[in-house]
Amino acid sequence: MTPPPRSTLSPETVLAVDNVPLELPIARVGSRVLAAVADYLVLTLVTISSGLAFLAVGVALSLKPGWIMGLMLVGYFLLEHGYFMGQEILLDGQTLGKRLFRLQVVSADGSRASPSALVVRNLLRTLDLLVGVVLMALDPLARRVGDRLAGTRVVHRARLESPAEEWSFPADWEPEEIRLVEEFFVRLGELDPDRRGRLADRLEEYVRARSPEILPPSGDWRPEERLQMAFTPGGS
Amino acid sequence: MSYSRFVSLRRPVWDRFEEGLLDVRERPDTISYQELEELAVGYRQILQDHAWARSRFPETEAARRLHRLALAGSVWLQRGEGERRYGMLRFFFRSFPRAFRRLLPHMALCGLLFWAAGLFGLGSALFEPELASVLLGPDAVEGLARGRLWTESLTTTVPPAYSSSAIATNNMSVAITAWVGGALAGIGSLWIVLLNGYMLGAVTGGTLQWAMAGELLEFVSAHGILEITLILVTAGAGLGIGQAILTAGDRPRMMRIREAVRDALVVLGGALPWFVILGLVEAMVSPHPGLGWVPKLALGLTLEALFLVVALGSPEPSEAT
Repeated sequence: MTPPPRSTLSPETVLAVDNVPLELPIARVGSRVLAAVADYLVLTLVTISSGLAFLAVGVALSLKPGWIMGLMLVGYFLLEHGYFMGQEILLDGQTLGKRLFRLQVVSADGSRASPSALVVRNLLRTLDLLVGVVLMALDPLARRVGDRLAGTRVVHRARLESPAEEWSFPADWEPEEIRLVEEFFVRLGELDPDRRGRLADRLEEYVRARSPEILPPSGDWRPEERLQMAFTPGGS
Repeated sequence: MSYSRFVSLRRPVWDRFEEGLLDVRERPDTISYQELEELAVGYRQILQDHAWARSRFPETEAARRLHRLALAGSVWLQRGEGERRYGMLRFFFRSFPRAFRRLLPHMALCGLLFWAAGLFGLGSALFEPELASVLLGPDAVEGLARGRLWTESLTTTVPPAYSSSAIATNNMSVAITAWVGGALAGIGSLWIVLLNGYMLGAVTGGTLQWAMAGELLEFVSAHGILEITLILVTAGAGLGIGQAILTAGDRPRMMRIREAVRDALVVLGGALPWFVILGLVEAMVSPHPGLGWVPKLALGLTLEALFLVVALGSPEPSEAT
């Protein structure tokens, strides 16, 4: 397959095997900052607790204070530089904060980021603490300095769980109509009863005009139940 | 083919791929070749279905699910940059020397600027005697007047285990800062070089006033030679990044920057472990009063030579004929 001209693709688009274009779901500054805040909270807790643990073990083993302080200093240095770097390398581009917000570091072509790229983006973290947020807010790919130099992107990690239900649509329905009904079903659980009823009424009205044959015969059902019956495979 | 038929026909393939992907994500190191092959075949089917759904049924749930699956498959099945992992020996004796050589001109420039700043600092301290007390503080100057270096109190009041850790981690932080400074178009790296050069010159000038320069040079001779070299090396690596940012030449800028960053990272990785040795030397050997300057200088020169042997010693592999 011939690759499409780069100029016709959006910055978020990467080319998969056979030049199939895929849009990377770029994580924007808000979710990035939230993940970072979560990570720094964890880092603070780990630093304090490991410091106390060092102290307790050192006292228990009757180590000299100089050794305890020296070890604590080395531990702090390793945590400061290794917390993000180590996790991203070991957890496939994720830290605890990124896991919490379902983010992942990937390379510019959407594949797994290499360990050296992850090291580079984290070495530059100190600089990004000063300018990173502004750069992420201004860049369409939400890259901070570390991402630019390492050639990485932070994306929303795809939630893979398949939809529990499958719907059946008349063969002559357009994609926009299908999308309308699917979105209603996807959001069904989130809507309050009043709003759900109103939307179901309008949708049923549309279906009645478009494909009346799929609607079940009148009965003691709420509109959303009637719609579910209409679009369930072999349902009506 | 209608949407419903497409979904009902292909859904088992998508479910199978999803199941396989979730499974291998949990145990990436124990996946068999057959499992990988099945996953790769499934990935191509997903891409094909994704292309179909994207053109025929855009924005539908099936198209969205296929997009998610295709992305997850791309991330998992394709390894970025085709990076190979080498052992430690290969890194230190092959990759590091190659990157080091490529960045030698930048390191040389850093060295030149460092010594120029050092001379300026020395001159400033000699012509402006007050500068020493500003830089060193009144207590250190009072100590110098009594014929004692400020380094004595630092090393006698702090246990060596702590001071060696503090020195090593502090020096590593300086080296990392010099490296990171390259991202500011090299300005940060240059700043570290000039500041350290100026400080060394000015402090030496300050001790000259009290005829204590010999003591200072004896103190730094064991660790200082390599320490300065390593700071210059990491700053040179940073400068390499800065140059790539500013002057990409005929090549795409991002490609040029990536190459420079890769070399700079290798140089940083090759330089950092030496700081651990230097931390021990600075805490235990440098302040030792009974050793005298000859063994300290010999140790300093030996460490420098060892580093340079590693950094420059490995011959370039001959060109393939």
